[in-house]
Amino acid sequence: MEALGMRDEIGDKAAVAAHNSLQLIAFSIGEQTYGVEITTVREIRAWNGATPLPNTREFVRGVINLRGTIVPIFDLRARFGDGPTSPTKNHVVVVMSVGDKWVGILVDAVSDILTVSRDDIHNVPEGNSVDTELLNGIVTHDSRMVGLIDLHAVVSGAKLDG
Amino acid sequence: MSDLDDFKATYFDECSELLNELEEQFAAIEAGERDADRLNAVFRAIHSIKGGAGAFGFSALVGFAHAYETLLDYVRDGRVELTDDVVVLCIRANDIIADHVNAAQTGEALAADYGMEEKNRFDALARGDKGEDEDLGGEMVEEFDLDFTPVMVNLGGDDAAEDSADETAMALDSDLTSALDETPIAAEPAADVADEVAPDDAFDASPMQIESGHWEIKFTPHRALYARANDPLLLFRELAVLGEFHVRAVLGDVPPLSDFEPFAVYCSWEITLVSSTLNEAMIREVFEFVEGDCDISVAQLGASVMLDVEDEEASSPAAEAPASAAEPANDADDLLALADDEVAGLLDFDQEETPEPTLAATAQDSFEEPPALSFAELAASIAPTPVAKAPPPPKPVAPAAPASAEGEESSGRSVGVQSIRVDLDKVDRVVNMVGELVITQSMLTQQMDENLRVRYTELVRGLEVLAQTTRGLQDSVMAIRAQPVKSVFSRMPRLVRELATKTEKKIKLETIGENTEIDKTVIEQLSDPLTHMIRNSADHGIESPEKRAANGKSEIGTIRLSAEQAGGNILIIVEDDGGGINRERVLQVARDKGIVAPDSNPSEEQIDQLIFAPGFSTASEVSDLSGRGVGMDVVLSNIKKIGGSVHVRSWTGKGTRMTLRLPLTLAVLDVMLVRVGGSPYVVPLSSIVETIQCSRASFERVPSGGQVLQVRGEYVQVIDLVERFELVSDTPEENRFVVLCEAEGSHKVALVVDDIIGQQQVVIKSLEENFQSVEGVAGGTILGDGNVALIVDVQGLKSTIVHKNAA
Repeated sequence: MEALGMRDEIGDKAAVAAHNSLQLIAFSIGEQTYGVEITTVREIRAWNGATPLPNTREFVRGVINLRGTIVPIFDLRARFGDGPTSPTKNHVVVVMSVGDKWVGILVDAVSDILTVSRDDIHNVPEGNSVDTELLNGIVTHDSRMVGLIDLHAVVSGAKLDG
Repeated sequence: MSDLDDFKATYFDECSELLNELEEQFAAIEAGERDADRLNAVFRAIHSIKGGAGAFGFSALVGFAHAYETLLDYVRDGRVELTDDVVVLCIRANDIIADHVNAAQTGEALAADYGMEEKNRFDALARGDKGEDEDLGGEMVEEFDLDFTPVMVNLGGDDAAEDSADETAMALDSDLTSALDETPIAAEPAADVADEVAPDDAFDASPMQIESGHWEIKFTPHRALYARANDPLLLFRELAVLGEFHVRAVLGDVPPLSDFEPFAVYCSWEITLVSSTLNEAMIREVFEFVEGDCDISVAQLGASVMLDVEDEEASSPAAEAPASAAEPANDADDLLALADDEVAGLLDFDQEETPEPTLAATAQDSFEEPPALSFAELAASIAPTPVAKAPPPPKPVAPAAPASAEGEESSGRSVGVQSIRVDLDKVDRVVNMVGELVITQSMLTQQMDENLRVRYTELVRGLEVLAQTTRGLQDSVMAIRAQPVKSVFSRMPRLVRELATKTEKKIKLETIGENTEIDKTVIEQLSDPLTHMIRNSADHGIESPEKRAANGKSEIGTIRLSAEQAGGNILIIVEDDGGGINRERVLQVARDKGIVAPDSNPSEEQIDQLIFAPGFSTASEVSDLSGRGVGMDVVLSNIKKIGGSVHVRSWTGKGTRMTLRLPLTLAVLDVMLVRVGGSPYVVPLSSIVETIQCSRASFERVPSGGQVLQVRGEYVQVIDLVERFELVSDTPEENRFVVLCEAEGSHKVALVVDDIIGQQQVVIKSLEENFQSVEGVAGGTILGDGNVALIVDVQGLKSTIVHKNAA
């Protein structure tokens, strides 16, 4: 009964899209695994430096040239408040589309493509507003937690005064 | 439906061009150039707007445009004098047309009686004239003029449009019937026509008994109709569905076999359709797809007879021609078939020259108004047209009919420049690629060192040619996008008129240099800022007539809008001769709103610039026009977005001058590449005055802790970009450079950078496309090595300093 109750509370999203499965690109930051929906990912490229942007928050790593357009890079570790990443050639930039904009996020490594059921998405535990703000939900894969990144939240508030 | 939407979009594009043209023409007319060419251009523009509106079913627009057109027509043939009042009314009418077009475009409904007052005035003007001209057939013109039916282009089951077409067509139907009832019909010719086309029908000589369901259609295909693989038989089959159907081939023109030309068209048809439910629109719909490729006349028997009578009554020269339509009709058909474009052009020309104002006017009406086509055809058949082959008639009158389709085309041709309409996106793509090409080329050139030059002379020569070609290509592409600022300027007279009315001031707008060309994207961004600036000038700048008189100025205030090219920039200046900026009040308001710190003492020029601060407004009451505190900051942000700057200068009691400095093009920028804290930055070359080595520069301290630089007796504020951008310098102080830049208003600012790398051309890329605007950075660009360099926003850096001090 308890488990069923939990199911019901998982939220409208899961209920509406029942039986739908979801493909995620999973990547790691330190020991932790996060994921984004695969359809939002445009490309994955190795870290090759970025031009720093002045007057922006610490987690805005800078901008890169992606075939003629300028794309901002967000340092996900810094966004989560763990200080800036010291990137090497092994670090990876995942380029994604958020709304009509393309952004890149800097992560340690891309690990896997996961297929999960929408029914298995759990709510983020209430408590810390940072968690609920930056994560859309949590899924379990191989008995490990995968946080679903809320891209809109990640890229917002990049300006110093905003 | 998407096809229809495409057509609509094209139509609205054309409308905005035509509306601009109207403004232009009336500016000239207002200035006293009241010649026929201008009136014709105005007429054409209104007619085109009306035509398209009819096709899309914008009935309010059609109604208004039509009344306007009628008036213009009367003005053109001299029956209504073009007095100043009429000009003012016309200008107002243009505005209303613009509103109607806008309403149609946005789908918003205007008040049902919008423009009614003006429309009534048109009608009154037109009617006032009618009385005198009645004997010349004025009434008939009226009849057909006012019952304009839009020819519907049904492009895919737009139900509403269809409905309105039916409605108007029905209206026409009943109008014709009532016209029939009112008009006495001479039995003679009626019987003639009836004999010819419907011999079997018991066609009573008494006109009152003519049924409304008898339609006579003359169908004369051109060669083009067959060339497009249309088959008259299919058309006839469609017609046969509509009612009782008789067709007779007119073969009188078929030459002997020896003269027979296989591709010529010798055959035409006369068709009688009897049906009580028929209307003209339904018949025309059958011919819709062959419209331009044939001559069609659709006449309801009663109606055409009536026209005969009218002609006779008018005792015009046309009536001297044989009144029985049957015989000359063949001649006319013959001529119609022969009339190729050139002849049509000639005819069109002839017609404009015709010294018979009334007839010319009626003919003009008839060929431009679809429902009256029948009349035009008839008129043509009555009066043989002066084409080489035909025996010359006593007077060359009313040769308009054969020109019906081609006439408009040819008149358009003589006016228009050869051009194509291209999606701006496509041009942009070319511009961007050319931009990249320029950069690649300059990168290649930079790679050539002395060794390579000696070893590969051919390669070097090739690169030089490449450089030249690229430059040429770039110039050509820029020329495609360059457009005269006229397209924006021409919207302003209307604005000024409206503002003058609302503020009850007398304002005159002068425009100078409207042929100055700027990049299309710049022009697009210019409309809003200019509107705000002019609004500001009219509302805050120009004083009331009383106050102006009291100050010894002319009651009429002047706003001067000018454009000129200055080096790589375009200067757009909005100048008024009003009271100037009330600096005390501006400062007071700025302090109240916390825009300026209470203890700071900005200079006069700094105060002037405060009007661009967000949220700033001195208007004590929020008026209709301005005072909400949005506006001038929009000017600043829009202009900055396209890489320009704004500067304002004011003279108390004498006026205010706002200067927009805009880049000629947005695509390529000449820059100096510098290094700041290990990152590449570029500074627009146009803003750089000179560069100085730090070791040779003399810095001084000021109390705020900042530095100033002394350059030739002038003290200049110093901004160390490394500090400003919170980076870390990797270069010893003495090896660094000062880049002396000129911000707007001749204010200099000294930027300190770590190193100067060189000059190059770059393509400006937006940061906002994927991110957002960043303070102190005007955009980004991609260097030859693929890295991103940021463009320093010199003006922005300077104003944030002022801001910080103030805060």
